[in-house]
Amino acid sequence: MNMEYLPELLKGLGTTLELTLVSLLTGLVLAILFTIVLSLKVKALTWLVKLQILLFTGTPLLIQIFLIYYGPAQFDLIKDSVIWPLLSKPWFCAMLALALNSAAYSTLLFKGAIDAVPRSDWEACMALGMTHKQALLKVILPHAARRALPAYGNEIILVMKGSSLASTITLMDLMGYAARLNAQTYDTLTVFTMAGLIYLAMTGVLTLLIRFMEHKVLAFSRT
Amino acid sequence: MGLTALFAEATVMTLGLALSSLALGLLMAITFSLAELSRFKPLALTTSTIVAVLRGLPEILVIFFVYFGSTHAIFLLTDEFVEVSPFLAGTIALSLIYSAYASQTLRGAFMAIPRGQTEAASALGISKVRCFFRITLPQSWRHALPGLGNQWLVLLKDTALVALIGVHDLLLQAKMTAASTYEPFTWYGIAALIYLAITLISQNILERMKLRSNRHLTSSQSKMETSTESAVTSSEATA
Repeated sequence: MNMEYLPELLKGLGTTLELTLVSLLTGLVLAILFTIVLSLKVKALTWLVKLQILLFTGTPLLIQIFLIYYGPAQFDLIKDSVIWPLLSKPWFCAMLALALNSAAYSTLLFKGAIDAVPRSDWEACMALGMTHKQALLKVILPHAARRALPAYGNEIILVMKGSSLASTITLMDLMGYAARLNAQTYDTLTVFTMAGLIYLAMTGVLTLLIRFMEHKVLAFSRT
Repeated sequence: MGLTALFAEATVMTLGLALSSLALGLLMAITFSLAELSRFKPLALTTSTIVAVLRGLPEILVIFFVYFGSTHAIFLLTDEFVEVSPFLAGTIALSLIYSAYASQTLRGAFMAIPRGQTEAASALGISKVRCFFRITLPQSWRHALPGLGNQWLVLLKDTALVALIGVHDLLLQAKMTAASTYEPFTWYGIAALIYLAITLISQNILERMKLRSNRHLTSSQSKMETSTESAVTSSEATA
């Protein structure tokens, strides 16, 4: 195996990690907002959130990235506006697409977890004289987290893998460097194997981190 | 212009690719899941490793690896430059990805069949192979269907990636039309809506298949229960 490719590939690692982290956090904030909207049944916003979920879970991520990156250029109105400098940056567009995509899937997950907490848990809390806030923070959310956390761990890995698609809109992440090295050297098997190993290492580390997090957060549910 | 015809053709290409990957993927998934359940440990371990690797890699890397890698491998072996068809490479890559996830679902479904079933079959003198195809597989279908259905939806969306290796699918058609008309938003939007329509139709068919696969359990009084239950599980699993 030719080791000289490694430094070149690792140049893209920073972008991949940064993109993953920022999109995950943005997606998480959005997902929490969306879940609140859905749980509280805010009338005007509910259908908007549902539409967002439908659009972003029903179409390929790659199209979402293309749509956000290439799409706005069609309208002069957007081109003249103040957001254009942001929307013409591949990094921002990839981040936005990943965040919105992750938000849609995470909202489904969080809403499902909250709905899965039995009604009787609420009633038991009320019977014990807890306030609404106490019940939510001490009983309902921890139990919902127990259901949501393992699935959210999957989502983290999916976003990390999805960030590789940013290379299609000229962003030089790990995949971007791998594709360029492949085009320069034609040493396909070596280059992609090395890139693959780096991705696998990231998946492995993330999986361990998520396990550790679950262990900490779910400490209450062990006997 | 005939843009409608072009988009229809591209949609057929996307569907064809997705369906052939599904067929090949299911076959591989059954093989993988049986290998993982095998008592011969080295085989089980190797298969688990392959599955873990496939699940840990970005889909685009797997597709590039199969497409560019196969040409490279053929070149190294025979010193000849053979261009592999993008459709074939795409199908193999997508079915590999599908089978990595589906094999886990199938493994769970096979294990959900009580041991007594296979024991009863062997007591009746039914051979192992026959028992698998006639007793285990049909019964596990019900358990596997929700998971396999969700993975089909994922596969459908992953087919968009093969546009990057030059398969003339929906996304590539949208890209070409967007470039020639300078209307990227319109054409990528239309492609996205076609994907959405296929997804919604698939979901509808899957819902019916799920009801059908559970019909022996669905008495008239519990009908409501199962339908709401399956709605919950499906939304969970897509997430």
